[in-house]
Parts: sequence; C-alpha cells; structure tokens
Amino acid sequence: MDLFADLWMGLSVAISPINLVYLLIGAMVGMIVGIIPGFGPAAGLAILLPVTFGMDPIGAVMMLAAIYYGAMYGGTITSILLNTPGESATVASTFDGYPLAQKGRAGPALVMQAVASFTGGTVGVILITLLAPAFSHVARNFGPPEYFLLALLGMLTLIVMIGENWKLGVLSALIGFALGTVGVDLETGQSRYTFGSAELIGGIHFIPIAIGLFGLGELYFAFYRGLHRIGSGSIAQYDRKKGFWPDLADWVDTKFTLVRGSILGFVVGVIPGAGATIASLMAYSFERSFSKRPKNFGKGEMAGLVAPEAANNAASSGAMIPLLTLGIPGSASTAVLLAAFLLWGMRPGPLFMTQNPEFAWGLIASMYLGNMALLALNIFAIPLFVQIIRVPYRILAPIVLVICTLGTFSVSSSMIEVYLMFTAGIVGFFMRLYGFSPAALVLGLVLGPLAEEALRQTLTISRGSFWIFLERNGSIGIIVTTAVLLLVLPLMQRIGRRAGALKQGTVSEAEDAGV
Amino acid sequence: MKFISEFVGTGLRGTGLAAGCVLGLIAGSHALAQDYPSKDLDWTIAFGPGGGNDIMARTLIDIIQKYDLYGQDIRAENRAGGSGAVGWGYVYSKAGSGYDISTTSGSLITTPLQADTPWKASDFVPLALLATDDLAIMVSGNSEWDTIEEFIESAKETPPTLAGTGTVNVDFIVPTLFAEKAGFEFEYVSFNSMADMQTALLSGAVDAMVGNPGEIVGLVESGDMKALIYSGETTPPALGDVPTMDEKGWGVGVSMPRGLILAPDAPQEAVDFWRATVEKIVETPEWEKYIETNLLTENIKYGDDFGTFLKNAQDGFEKVLRAQGAIK
Repeated sequence: MDLFADLWMGLSVAISPINLVYLLIGAMVGMIVGIIPGFGPAAGLAILLPVTFGMDPIGAVMMLAAIYYGAMYGGTITSILLNTPGESATVASTFDGYPLAQKGRAGPALVMQAVASFTGGTVGVILITLLAPAFSHVARNFGPPEYFLLALLGMLTLIVMIGENWKLGVLSALIGFALGTVGVDLETGQSRYTFGSAELIGGIHFIPIAIGLFGLGELYFAFYRGLHRIGSGSIAQYDRKKGFWPDLADWVDTKFTLVRGSILGFVVGVIPGAGATIASLMAYSFERSFSKRPKNFGKGEMAGLVAPEAANNAASSGAMIPLLTLGIPGSASTAVLLAAFLLWGMRPGPLFMTQNPEFAWGLIASMYLGNMALLALNIFAIPLFVQIIRVPYRILAPIVLVICTLGTFSVSSSMIEVYLMFTAGIVGFFMRLYGFSPAALVLGLVLGPLAEEALRQTLTISRGSFWIFLERNGSIGIIVTTAVLLLVLPLMQRIGRRAGALKQGTVSEAEDAGV
Repeated sequence: MKFISEFVGTGLRGTGLAAGCVLGLIAGSHALAQDYPSKDLDWTIAFGPGGGNDIMARTLIDIIQKYDLYGQDIRAENRAGGSGAVGWGYVYSKAGSGYDISTTSGSLITTPLQADTPWKASDFVPLALLATDDLAIMVSGNSEWDTIEEFIESAKETPPTLAGTGTVNVDFIVPTLFAEKAGFEFEYVSFNSMADMQTALLSGAVDAMVGNPGEIVGLVESGDMKALIYSGETTPPALGDVPTMDEKGWGVGVSMPRGLILAPDAPQEAVDFWRATVEKIVETPEWEKYIETNLLTENIKYGDDFGTFLKNAQDGFEKVLRAQGAIK
C-alpha cells in the first residue's frame, strides 16, 4: 500500500495552488500546440522549455508534461473539424472524425474524443502508477552494458518505424551521432572537434537544435505545404444547443473500444521508438477487425474515432515509463522532456523514483489532474479553441519565430546558440523536404553520447571483451527484446499502414513527421 | 532621468539640461558600481545532477534565495562532461564577468593537469574554501565482501573494477594511492553522473565504487550498499562501523576542496560582495545542517588563502599523478 501513500504524497505536491496554475497553463498550451497543424508536442516543448526558467522545478516539469499529453487532445479538434490532423498522432482520428462532422455529428465527435482521450490518458497514468516502481526495480539490474543496448534498441526501433525512408532515417541518426561527438571527451577530458572554441567545449547543445528543427523547421515546412492557406471557411459547423451531446448508442458502442484502445496504446507507447502515431493507427485497425460493422469505418463510425484517440493518449503516458525509470527517451518529445529534467538537476533512471519521490510522484499525480482539466477544457471550451484554428499563419509565424529566438538565447545567453538554432531550422526544413527524419537526428544527438559513454565503460569493465553482453541476464533480456521487436514492429507498422490505406498520403506524411 | 526633469522644471533650460545629463551619467555609473548584483547569476555546476558538487551548489543557492542574499535571479546549470572541463571551460570563457560563479571539486585541479584544457585552477578568482570532503570505497549491499581485508584479499587474486566520477580526479587518486599502499590493483571505470554510477554498482556491472559520504549515505542506510573504508580522519557514524585508511596504516592524505570561484578577472566589487555573502552563508543553520548531513569537514579559507590552498593541492596532485604515470 506504499503505492497509495506515494501517490497521496505526490498529490499533495501537485495540488498546491501555484502548481495547479502551471498545470492548467500547460494543458491550455498543449491544446493550442496540438491544434496548430504542423506543430506537434516536440515542437511545443522545445519552444517553451526555456520559458520555464526561473520557475519552481516541480511546477515547470508538471507544466511541460501537460503540454506533452495535452497536445494529444488538441490535435484531434482539427482532425474532426478540418480533416487536417493537428499533429501526426491524430491522423487516424481524421478517418472517422471528419465523416462524423460531415454527417452533422461534430458535437458528439468532439465530446467522445475528449472522453476517449481522458480515458486513454487516465488508464495510462494508472498503469504508470502501478508499473513504474516495478520497472524501476528491474532497471536496478542495469549497468553500462544494458544502457548501451537500450540506447541501441531505441535507435533501431525508431529507424524501423520510419519505414520506407529508413535509409534516410539512418543517415539522420548518424548526423545526430556526429553532432554528439563534438565537445570534451567523456573519458580523457580531451577536446574533440571544438576547433579551439570555448563555446564548443560543452558540445552541441540539444535545446537549440531541437528548437531549430522542430520549431523553425516545421514552421518553414508548414508554409511550404501551404498550411497557411487553409481557410477558416472549411471548418465543419456544429451546434452547441442541438445534437451536441453524444447519444446512448455512442456510449454503449464504444465502452470496450475505450479499454482496448487504452491498453494497446499504452503497450505500444512503452516501446522506445514506436510512439503515439503508430499506436493510434494500430488501434484503429484492430478496432475495425473487432467491429460488427467494419464497413462503416471511414464513413463516420464513432468507434473509429474513439479507438485511436484512447490509444494515442495512453501511448503518450506509456512513453513516460522508459523516460522515468531508465532515463532513456523513446521519442523526440520525451527527449525534450529529458532535457527539461536535466536542466532542473534531475537525472531520471532506476533510482529516480526512490531518490526524488516528491518530484516523481508529484509529476505522476499531476497527470491525473491534468487529464481531468483537459477533459473539462475540451468539452466546455471548444469554441475558444475553434477560434485558435482561425488565427492565420501570418500572425502565428512571427510569434513562433520570436519565441524560438528568445528561448534559445535565454538558455545560456549565447548568440552562437541562436545562430545554431537558425541553421538547424533551415536544415530541418530541407530534411523534411527530402524525407530525412529530424526526430532520428535529435534522438541520435541524445542517445549517441549516452551509448558512447556506456560502451566505453562496458569495455573497460570487460577488459575489451564483447562477450560481456551475453554474460549478464539484463543484457540478454534486452537483446532478446530487441530481436522480438525488430520482428514484430514491421508487422505492427503494416497493420497501421493498412488503416492508413483508406486515406492514402496522410500516413506516410505523419510518419516523416516523426514519433 | 529624475535629475533632468528637475532641472527642466526649475527653468534652467539649455545649459541646465546638458549639466543634468552629465550629472545623471555620473550618478548612473556610480550607482552601477554600487549595484552589484544587477544581473542574473549564472551558476555553473561542472558535474551531473546528484553528485556532491551538485548538492553543494544547490544547497548554497537555496540558502542564498531563502535569505535573499543575492537580490536577482540565480540560474543553476549542470554543464557536465570531461571531468569538469566542460563546466569550468565555460566559466573560463566568461573572463571579466562578475556573474559567472562555480563550485569547485578536486577536478578543478586535476583535470587541467591531465587534459589540454585552456584553463587551470589558478586562472579563476578564488572566493572561498568552505569544506573538504573525503571518499569511501563502497560495494553493493549483497556483495561477498564485508570488510576491506576481504576485498583486498580477493583483489590480489583478480583485480576488481572500481567506478568513480571523472577520469583523473581525487576519485581516481585516492583509491590508486590506497591500492598502492595496500598492495592490490584495480581497473578504473569513469562515470559522468553519480546516478549512473550508483546504478552500475547496484546492477553488479562494477565491483566497487568511490563516493563522498553525502552522496551515498541514503543507500547505506537502505542496505543497498556497504562502505568498506573511509579516507577521512574519522568515519561518519552514518556509514557504520567502518575503519579509516589511516587506522589501517594505508593513509593517503588527499581530500577534495569544496569552495567557490568566479570567472577569471572578475571585478573587485563582485569579489567583495561574495566574500561578505559567504560570511553570511556559513553562519546560517541551513549551512550547518548541510555540513552535518553531508558529512563534510568545515574548513573555511577566504580569497588568497583559498588560492594558496588550491596551489598547494595542485602541486601535490601533480606529483601523485606524475608518479602514477597518469600524466606526463
């Protein structure tokens, strides 16, 4: 029953008035980030991370986490009303969401998506509460050999999930690795590729690169794709007075869908590199095979909206597990969250939850509250968010540009980093244009140095022998898991792709957008 | 601005205005000299979160904020890597700034000896030495070794792996000198963060590690780790009934200086401000509690005295490392 004591303690941290305010701000910002097409949670987090400087660390991380899972709620609003996913994990929600809106059922669709998101998110947090301590316990058997293998696993799954463009994905990850080698060598203290510059001693910082790639790069790419020309005229209409609430059939039809979608989403989310996009597509596909009316899918079936929505929210919670218990991010967004933890002096890992119980449990408790707040926001503040869809890109773009620039500068008051951010923005645009993966680059930049340090430690320990990877139970477990995932993931991806075949084009686009 | 409006207001236009401007400027620059601090403080922690350096920096910041000793915002950042080369290299690059401060460890002395860093310890402005701390050799709670004798005996058969923070550091020097005196060998594994190192020991990936009592006392109390021997004068009770290296006749006489430095050529006003501030900090109950809970030896030396301490330590370390062949 320690679990309840821990959770209760976490709740007492999360519920302080100032933390609640941060949480609400995070939820609102997450919704907005989700709604704006072209900007996903990774972009939102990277851009807004520097804004949290000077805040209390617990409040700041609660707010950033709320942005992260809040984006899953917001992204669906445009999927339903505009047939344009607000971010890649809500692509599957357009398949039945938009047809529902066309049939005049936009109101029930919006309410049910909020309920599904809430269920997915809450089931996800419940599973975190139950499983994170157990995961931490297992992870205590992990040393440098296991960390090296985990970093490798994260990169491999990410590259497998990129799909057709995997060669470009590998190249992107290698660019990330290369950038990660700049700076002082971990073991000997010698400078590498710093060309005598004191600014480069610390290596290429993650935050300007992430802000550039995800913030500016996506902004440029949004213009290129013509997202700024989406008129507000095409927003589906709905009536708040008549037919806004779902009817009984909507609830009865989808009660198991909610559970299935949530659990599937969570499991997929835990796998590093897989993430919310693939979880939602898989959930959609599975739901169709469970349904008594598979023919109605794609024509406005409520279960076809509920399944991916529950799944993407549960997946975003699931991805918190490797982050909190191993300190290994599985996606670009969790990599930015990791950067936030480190900035606040916290190193997530197996001992994190026992050594920083207030912080860890405060964050988990805040996720329960955050999901409740998002449910309420989604049902009662929809008109407000529909107004945000109407904000034209010509107003949005300069705001994003200014926040990116100021944010980058505020990290270490370095103009070099601002130039780096702008360079990364231009590089990010071309990467997206030619099918490279900014997400793989960012993960390479985070996991590369981690893998290098762990490998060198491993080889010191084993005195140069690679057999150590087959001598430790943890290592063998991870190798087996990796092998299974490499077999299963392409299959999962095919299932997802089949779901996407209905709406050709959107899925491959979502996949390049990264996880 | 107030000057100007007053002059204008009393009818002394023209020349009055110009005089007002000049007066205003003088007053302004004078105010600036008095007004340290007028900007946010950038506090570099040259190691990862959770280590002794990190704990000390964050304790100091908490005290400064609690008693409102600084008056502006303080931004603490972990600039870890290269045994401190990254963090202190950053502070070094801010020469002339009064707003770049850092907490020291043994690496401040050892890293420049070993690596080709552009800076050395004596480049920084020494503010104050606050304490020294010592190291314990730790093994996992379920390890077969219960005493240092058992550990040494087994180490003579097969050299164990021993983890420490940083490469050429007191973490390396203390066990090296100890092993030399006790007559065994070991393989040193360098880590960047204390958290990763603790996990490595608990997972059985490394056989032993060295750590400051403050960093590991929680894990000793929970039974996850056992201390075998301590490098300081008297073993803190929290570590259990553990002998010191001196008691066993294998004393090493090296300890880690914990103090505060500013960027090179920091302005005198900043140095004066920090001397006065440190005097206030060490009087607070929070600081006493920090020394007590982190099992440090209080050892306060200001300014040049701290500089001399660093210089002496630097010479001592250099001799040790050269003898070990760790540096050329």
